[in-house]
Amino acid sequence: MLLPEADLKAILAAALAQGGDFAEIFLERRRTTIISCEENKIERVTSGLEQGAGIRVIKGENTAYGYSNDLNRESLIQTANLVGKALPGQPGPVEITFQRPRAQVEFTIKKSPDQVPVDEKVALVQRANEAARAVDQRITQVTVGYGDVIQEVTIANSAGVLVEDQRVRCRFVVNAVATDGQAIQTGYESVGGHQGWELFESVNPEEQARLAAQRAVRMLEARPAPAGKMPVVMAGEAGGTMIHEACGHGLEADLVQKQLSVYAGKKGQQVASELITVIDDATIPGKYGSYRFDDEGIPGEKTVLIEKGVLKEYMYDYLTARKEGRRSTGNGRRESYQDRPIPRMTNTFIAPGQDDPAAILRETKQGLLVKRMGGGQVNTTNGDFVFDVAEGYLIQDGKVGPAVRGATLTGNGPEVLKIIDRVGSDLGFSLGICGKDGQGVPVGDAQPTIRIPEMVVGGILDEEAKD
Amino acid sequence: MDYQALEKKYLDVAARVVEKAARAGALVEAYLNAGETLSIEVRNQEVEALTTARDQGLGLRVIRDQRVGFAFTTDFSPAALDLCVEQALANARMATPDAHNCLPARYPGYPSLDLFDPGIIDTPVGQKIELVREIERQARGYDPRVKITESCSYNDSRYLVALANSQGITAAYHAAYCGASTFMVAVENEESQTGFGLAYGLQYKNIDPVKIGREGAARAVRMLGARRVNTQRAAVVLDPYVATNFLGVIAPALAADAVQKGKSLFRGRVGQQVAAPVVNIIDDGRRPDGIASSPFDGEGVPTEHTTLVEKGILKCYLHNTYTAARDGVKSTGNGARGSFKTTPEVGTTNFYIAAGPHTPEEIIKEIPKGLYVTEVMGMHTANPISGDFSVGASGLWIEKGELTNPVRGVAIAGNIINLLGSIDAVGSDLTFFGATGAPTVRIASMTISG
Repeated sequence: MLLPEADLKAILAAALAQGGDFAEIFLERRRTTIISCEENKIERVTSGLEQGAGIRVIKGENTAYGYSNDLNRESLIQTANLVGKALPGQPGPVEITFQRPRAQVEFTIKKSPDQVPVDEKVALVQRANEAARAVDQRITQVTVGYGDVIQEVTIANSAGVLVEDQRVRCRFVVNAVATDGQAIQTGYESVGGHQGWELFESVNPEEQARLAAQRAVRMLEARPAPAGKMPVVMAGEAGGTMIHEACGHGLEADLVQKQLSVYAGKKGQQVASELITVIDDATIPGKYGSYRFDDEGIPGEKTVLIEKGVLKEYMYDYLTARKEGRRSTGNGRRESYQDRPIPRMTNTFIAPGQDDPAAILRETKQGLLVKRMGGGQVNTTNGDFVFDVAEGYLIQDGKVGPAVRGATLTGNGPEVLKIIDRVGSDLGFSLGICGKDGQGVPVGDAQPTIRIPEMVVGGILDEEAKD
Repeated sequence: MDYQALEKKYLDVAARVVEKAARAGALVEAYLNAGETLSIEVRNQEVEALTTARDQGLGLRVIRDQRVGFAFTTDFSPAALDLCVEQALANARMATPDAHNCLPARYPGYPSLDLFDPGIIDTPVGQKIELVREIERQARGYDPRVKITESCSYNDSRYLVALANSQGITAAYHAAYCGASTFMVAVENEESQTGFGLAYGLQYKNIDPVKIGREGAARAVRMLGARRVNTQRAAVVLDPYVATNFLGVIAPALAADAVQKGKSLFRGRVGQQVAAPVVNIIDDGRRPDGIASSPFDGEGVPTEHTTLVEKGILKCYLHNTYTAARDGVKSTGNGARGSFKTTPEVGTTNFYIAAGPHTPEEIIKEIPKGLYVTEVMGMHTANPISGDFSVGASGLWIEKGELTNPVRGVAIAGNIINLLGSIDAVGSDLTFFGATGAPTVRIASMTISG
């Protein structure tokens, strides 16, 4: 524990001394290792230690927040006093009895990354670098990155929640650059999870490196993407960026309550095709967005957001749940002690359906096949979203045709979800750092192979391609 | 904060750490950052959230046998500092030697810049809250259809930087910046549209709540009723915000490290035409009221005014000490640190497209049909290495030189090099969005997918 219970109580009492009705302290100690390799060189090996505490006081719908790196008891009491003063009121008696909630799931970290010598991590990065470079002579640059984080947290609040937790995450990324004298293209692979060094028992770093390099080379030969409306088949292995953007953000309760989501006020209504079930699940062992407790000390859970097209639930944190007099869904997350928690996704996915993924492609005459998605963005207010196609192909007569590059798919969340007409029985995960209100948190996304009868592909017209 | 006393305290910490690591036979650099921040969020005239914070950190870079090691810590206790030194030295042993790894030597002096407006510190919190409320009132009062406040906020930061290295540099400065922004939602029938207004700078008195509020409202209201247009080729005008977004994609390609590693579009292009002759691109680490201005960069090198593209011709790249040593040139003072947690990599400071001669109205007046783009989505998916981009766009349709209906849900795509080459007019309205800025620019013809 980062501070004794008695100190936590004293700090919370100081925070409420001016009359706030809820106080919380979030203590964090984060140790990181980062290794980067480029130009065949181990360029950077970084070790970091960050620690700090964030103190939050809520009164009615108003929040005061403060943070500091100084974990000394007296200094934190001083910070708590300052934060409390921002929300003056009628102070009442403060009595706190701590209870430790039980997590819905236990995660086992088999080999903590701080037990692995740095030279072993460096060797893994070097092997991946060599594997990527061996793929093709046209690979001219390779960047390999490895990072691990051991985050210890203590979360305590005036309602009596006390949680201590340790989150361990490893991540590995490869970015390959291919050049043929004229064009320059890139390929990217990234793996990671709420896992220790055992991540590399299920993931072969050399194989990931080869995949990235092969994609870069393939994209050299790709033609510019077409422009305009067409059917789109998204392969299960493409990742889950679309569901994250098309509906995930719009189901976060803060945006819903502020009327900033197209899904506001639609609980119980049909918002998607009957083929569509969307789930957010923090409890899947080993995934990048998984956790035992959220950053407010609430156990992570599995929440069905949309069931057979009907909107069932939003994602809540403490504050948004309190506004509706209901319980949190355990989605209160923050980037670090420097940030207030807000409702965030964990691992979000479209549940697998009945269709054979191969048949979906076969039965699509023309269109675009998305083999890998890149990043995306959504305007939750009107539901418009975009995402990048990192690997795409034309579909010609139900078969995979030539590769295309530079495409972005543009759509409107509610419109797209309503017209999805095929859902495969497969499920492919991807991971990333999701940004919202300036805070980045690790998330997982997944979806089966699906078909969208019509989406706008942002490519270029043929006349220009010939220039 | 008493900055004189704090400077001394942090320079002492830096000197101690440098001395300790130097005893192990390494070149050493300690970079310390300490700051206080305030942030205020208002909704419906209530203070929804108020955040006050204080933090500090130290980043330690060592070079031993031409190998770089790095470690950082927020804990300045003697034990934690010792561990930091030990880790940085151990990390260096794992790195690959490179003869160009070096640290800058002492400079005779640094530019004297006005980076600390007492107005930011002396203005009471209550008055800052009132400024945010005024932004919201202005926005809501602009049009009855402006019904929802997505966000309305003010924030400021005062910070101190102290840097010492084993080559004789001991330097410090303190600075402050402030800014306010709003995102407002206009609602009509079943439709909602968002617009924003913002201003950031070094002077409190330059934050104009009336302008920020009304701009946020105007941008939201004018998008009501937006529709798609058919796929076609037409002229495209980027407003300063969108042009700034595109400029952000070019920034990494102008960094010498990207060039040296074969990851830049601009590799081998110095002296060549890389953009239309109307385009001038500048990085200025000393710009008055620039929020990225500082006397020295993240490794103690004086900042500079660097013209990167002049009349469309690429003049040079941005350098830190390492890339400069490798190319046999002088650092341009662009050893940028995101924070104490990172080594100083090549990065921009105040980075912008210089203003041109035309008003935005003149630029639009000459267009028979085209799209005036005011928002792009997915700009972060543009590929800075290949230059390929494809982004969602919205804005206003131009018909016979006039702005007409709002447009949304379309995409524009292409390659950044072609885009730079097709710019045929640059506006006089240079506007900064944080540390990056641009005026209105016009592209003669592009594909619009709808």
